[in-house]
Amino acid sequence: MGLYVRELLRTFRNPFVLLITIVQPFMWLAFFGSSFANAPPSVIAVFAQGHSYIAFLLPGTLSTSMLSVGMFGSMSTIQDKRFGFMKRILITPTSKGVIFLSKALGGATRGLVQFPIMIVAATVFGVSFHLSPLDWAAWVCGLFFLAIGFSSLFLAITASSTDWQTPGVVSNFITMPLMFASTALFNGQYFPAWMTAISSVNPITFSALLGRAFVLQTSVPWINLGFLGLFAAVMLVVGWMVSARWLKVD
Amino acid sequence: MTDSAIEVRGVTKRYGSVAKGVLALDNVNLSIPSGTVFGLLGPNGAGKTTLIKVLTGISDITSGDATVAGFDVRTQSLKVRARIGWVAAEVILDDDFTARENLWLQAKLQALKDWEPRADLLLRYFSLYDRANDKVGKFSTGMRKKLEIALALLHQPLVIFMDEPTIGLDVSTRRMLWDIVGGVHREFGVTVLLTTHYIEEADALCDRIAIIDQGRVIAQGTPSELKGRVKADIVLLETTEPLDSQRIAAIAGVQEVRAQGNEWTIRVSSAEAVLPLLLGSLRTESVRRISIDKPSLETVFLDLTGRRLGSDEPMRDIRKFYAQMRQARK
Repeated sequence: MGLYVRELLRTFRNPFVLLITIVQPFMWLAFFGSSFANAPPSVIAVFAQGHSYIAFLLPGTLSTSMLSVGMFGSMSTIQDKRFGFMKRILITPTSKGVIFLSKALGGATRGLVQFPIMIVAATVFGVSFHLSPLDWAAWVCGLFFLAIGFSSLFLAITASSTDWQTPGVVSNFITMPLMFASTALFNGQYFPAWMTAISSVNPITFSALLGRAFVLQTSVPWINLGFLGLFAAVMLVVGWMVSARWLKVD
Repeated sequence: MTDSAIEVRGVTKRYGSVAKGVLALDNVNLSIPSGTVFGLLGPNGAGKTTLIKVLTGISDITSGDATVAGFDVRTQSLKVRARIGWVAAEVILDDDFTARENLWLQAKLQALKDWEPRADLLLRYFSLYDRANDKVGKFSTGMRKKLEIALALLHQPLVIFMDEPTIGLDVSTRRMLWDIVGGVHREFGVTVLLTTHYIEEADALCDRIAIIDQGRVIAQGTPSELKGRVKADIVLLETTEPLDSQRIAAIAGVQEVRAQGNEWTIRVSSAEAVLPLLLGSLRTESVRRISIDKPSLETVFLDLTGRRLGSDEPMRDIRKFYAQMRQARK
């Protein structure tokens, strides 16, 4: 609990980090979302399943931003190793598994801060929301599972590393294929078969489709929430086991 | 708790493979009595920090056994970590947190419930109470160091490890920390294991000292016992030309002569008595440097290793380097 609170306090006491956290998703919607502003309504209707590309894009952008959550979580771990703080933690009865869990939960919570900001930003760009409290809760829950899954994945990959560059390299390697081989940004019906295959098992797709169903008021694929929960659970177990074995400062 | 706060039996630590790796600790044996300040004295890279790492559970032991506060560091690591404190060479605090928040976090890490009265006591003891709610990023080095020691004492440990606690500090802050280490030991009744490469620090603070070099403990005892080992003065002589070591050894009062190039380490019964005879046997213009060391921990280390503490590089190699540079310029 102490380490989890530390993660949050460190983030939100840094005005620059807070500013970037708020501005980055807003800019995504503003620049990328506006790229189809003058497209004919017929194109938008087919491509974005409605009248607004921003409404289509919002759940996808929220989903892909959970990828960066993982990178920040593992960068925070490496920072703690480099500045000796990890040693201070390890010379207490705190287990490596608990350290991992604090980092993963801290990263996921930090990622979810973007949610209300994005909703406000989308409203500013003309998107209207007609969700029940259960819908809101399910959407946030799906994003939380996704964030936990990616945080755990990044922490597992970088558990034994002390190199600043590792999270960035891993992020570049993972982010692009996962972002584009999903339906986060584009409608998947025009994908080639091999990209469709990747997209169909990509957690970002499951999260984007879930959120999109809430925003566009289409049939909700509740099974996606189960898949995202499974993804989070598996990654948590893997991350816990890898950290218990490989998290080290020496 | 047993009479020994720390027992180290045949501990070896190797980084990497047997063929290409580094042997950081080589069959180390130590017994550190409870309630003492024990010093590990040695040059950089001697293995002092590695020994602290294996005793605190940060590093695995390659072979051998060790217990801290009565618990095996390999099989009862959590019990060991609940009973030890640690003060790092570099100050490690959360600069964005206040002093009290740093203590709160330490209490959480140690799973302490009723920590605040103890934290207040420590803040008062270290004269930090009035600054308890200031961010530690604004603290002076001395205040940060004091807060770090307070963190190490919060959970009432039985043993505190201090890894080069005064390295990089100015003289007055170092003196202040010496007072604090002595005070902590007396007031809180903890065993302190301290590493240092400052001779005067080990001499001033420690009840017992182990001298460690190249991963091995080469001597241990009280400071006076160690100094008593060298019942001689050491004359260090540097000349511009080779000398006849047998001729020097024949001078009355000379006990031992060791040479490294044109550098001579000569053990004598009394420097005052031998020096006139020694200089009389040399061409005075060939003497580049001469110095005398009276019995001290420095002479103990010199006597044991043939090197001064802190002189990792033999002087002759530096001169060789400059000679090569001059040659290259020609």
